[in-house]
Amino acid sequence: MSDSEPIVRVVGVHKYFTRGAERVDVLQNLSVDVPNGEFLALMGPSGSGKTTLLNLIAGLDTPSEGEVWVGDELISAMSEAQLARWRTRSIGFIFQFYHLLPVLSAYENVELPLLLLPLTTAQRRAQVTTAMELVGLTDRLSHRPGQLSGGQQQRVGIARAIVTDPTLIVADEPTGDLDARSADEILKLLDELQRSLQKTIIMVTHDPKAAERAQRILHLEKGQLVEQTVRQLERA
Amino acid sequence: MLGHLAKFLVIIFKNVRRNLVRSTLTSLGTMVLVLVVTSVWSVLSFIDAQTSEKANDFKVLVTEKNKAPSRLPYAYSSSLREGAARNPGDVRPTDYMTWAFYGGTLDPTKMTRENFIFLIAGEAEKVPTMMDELDQLGPADKERLMAAVEKMKRQRNGCVIGPTQLKTMNKRVGDRIKISGLIFKGIDLEFEIVDTFPDAAQRYAQTSIMNIEYLLAALDEYKVKNKKPHPQGAAPIAFVVLRVNNRQEFERLAEQITASPLYTSPAVRCESQASAISSFLEAYKDIFWGMRWLLAPAVLVTLSLVIANAISISVRERRMEIAVLKVLGFRPGHVMMLVLGEALLIGAASGVFSAGAAYLLINKGAGGIPFPIAWFQRFFIPDQAPLWGLAVGAGTAFVGCIIPAWSARSVRVADVFSKIA
Repeated sequence: MSDSEPIVRVVGVHKYFTRGAERVDVLQNLSVDVPNGEFLALMGPSGSGKTTLLNLIAGLDTPSEGEVWVGDELISAMSEAQLARWRTRSIGFIFQFYHLLPVLSAYENVELPLLLLPLTTAQRRAQVTTAMELVGLTDRLSHRPGQLSGGQQQRVGIARAIVTDPTLIVADEPTGDLDARSADEILKLLDELQRSLQKTIIMVTHDPKAAERAQRILHLEKGQLVEQTVRQLERA
Repeated sequence: MLGHLAKFLVIIFKNVRRNLVRSTLTSLGTMVLVLVVTSVWSVLSFIDAQTSEKANDFKVLVTEKNKAPSRLPYAYSSSLREGAARNPGDVRPTDYMTWAFYGGTLDPTKMTRENFIFLIAGEAEKVPTMMDELDQLGPADKERLMAAVEKMKRQRNGCVIGPTQLKTMNKRVGDRIKISGLIFKGIDLEFEIVDTFPDAAQRYAQTSIMNIEYLLAALDEYKVKNKKPHPQGAAPIAFVVLRVNNRQEFERLAEQITASPLYTSPAVRCESQASAISSFLEAYKDIFWGMRWLLAPAVLVTLSLVIANAISISVRERRMEIAVLKVLGFRPGHVMMLVLGEALLIGAASGVFSAGAAYLLINKGAGGIPFPIAWFQRFFIPDQAPLWGLAVGAGTAFVGCIIPAWSARSVRVADVFSKIA
């Protein structure tokens, strides 16, 4: 797949929820293409539907109407089990609150998605080590999440997201729970991943400074795309 | 594959350790309830074993037909051991033992439990083969029992006393004891304790045996001394136990005995040992029914609820984590396996530990469960109890955690991470 071809295609997606007799439209007839290798930021006020859109692209939810394609796969038509299998290989998810399993060490947290793949212990070890090297935490392998700072926990979260070498990395407010310095480090790390590994990253953020790292920013409001900013980035 | 399984087990184990207080309390609750179930099933399984006929060890009880307790003349014993066979082709028992009961006190002025002793009087040489379970002793215990039997044969006043009974009486092997007869009033006997039953013969811990010839000789002496027979001298034995090969032989033997003119005064009844015990235990049937169908099921249901409660709380607390696992690609089956694994680990480990501890503490430490029913004074936890513990612990954990595990597998990621308000 060339860089210009969209890796993600959201076509005429509509998503609504019902609350009693009331219908709440979260996304309305939304279409978005994300080219391969792009760093895309989704911005908008609370309730604008950006996280819902991210969940649809990551296969965590299905649209009420419309289609979601990732690569050649129509994920909006997949069953829950198919989606789970697809997510293991194709998606790396970075959470705002890291969501590491507190009883497992950093190494074991990163290894978790690999347990679902047919890999040997040596292969798993090699992939975890590589991912931890990329996030600069090889000296914290045996630490539990509670023994790590917020920034370090988010690095472990990023290592967990990239350990399966997914097609797409989605991040939901990855700096939302961090101080300015840690947030900056995390954004730099995402930036590096996108550049060096040519990963497609879709990031939901409220923070304009975080969004500045992205090549393109989509602004959503009331479930509709209201503005698109394409940035010419100068990268060190 | 094994490596993956091991990793899943590690996660399950770490999840169990996550809230150590809750896991420990759940485990303790499981242990207590498994202990109750194990004890109840130990009593019931023993009673079931006693009241079910054994294909290869068919014992027949010949008792007085119309009276309880049964009293038979000793003369019956010599012909009954031949099965009252008169014609060629008649069934002959393969083994026999005559049973009489002699009970008394060490001190007639002080009738305490410690002073009371109850002995089975029978042919000494028949003890190893005709008393239940003694034929299953290991070689060393069997040799010891045979040595004691030989002593009893040589020395008619020798007796073997159960270790618990001996301890209660505060006596030792080699001691001589004088007993004032209570069942056979006026027949006071002096015994030498030649040995105890081996520890492996747990059910005989409070049982004592004597040579019937000693009792018969004492009855003869009474007759000579008092110039009249002892009131019970004409019918001193309680019953005769015969062994045949199978039910068909039993039916023919029963026909031979009941049709025989030798046993008319008093008439005799011939029934399988299992059937005789069942009839005797008829009075306790409501207790057994309650234990089997009310107590044990109630405990099992309670056990399931204890585990269900603990696992439900755990699943509720970890909805976010479960959602994260699903995001990472864990399928509903994986999530269910993790939750079931936790419950099964707690249930199975606690069950095995509890039943194993019960086996050691009750059998070795407490000398059995004191639950006097009929002539059974104490019950012992059977060897297979740890397997019961495993099955009960794992089974109730499985049943108890089906709903919480299903709820965990059904966690919808989008609902958990939903931020729309």
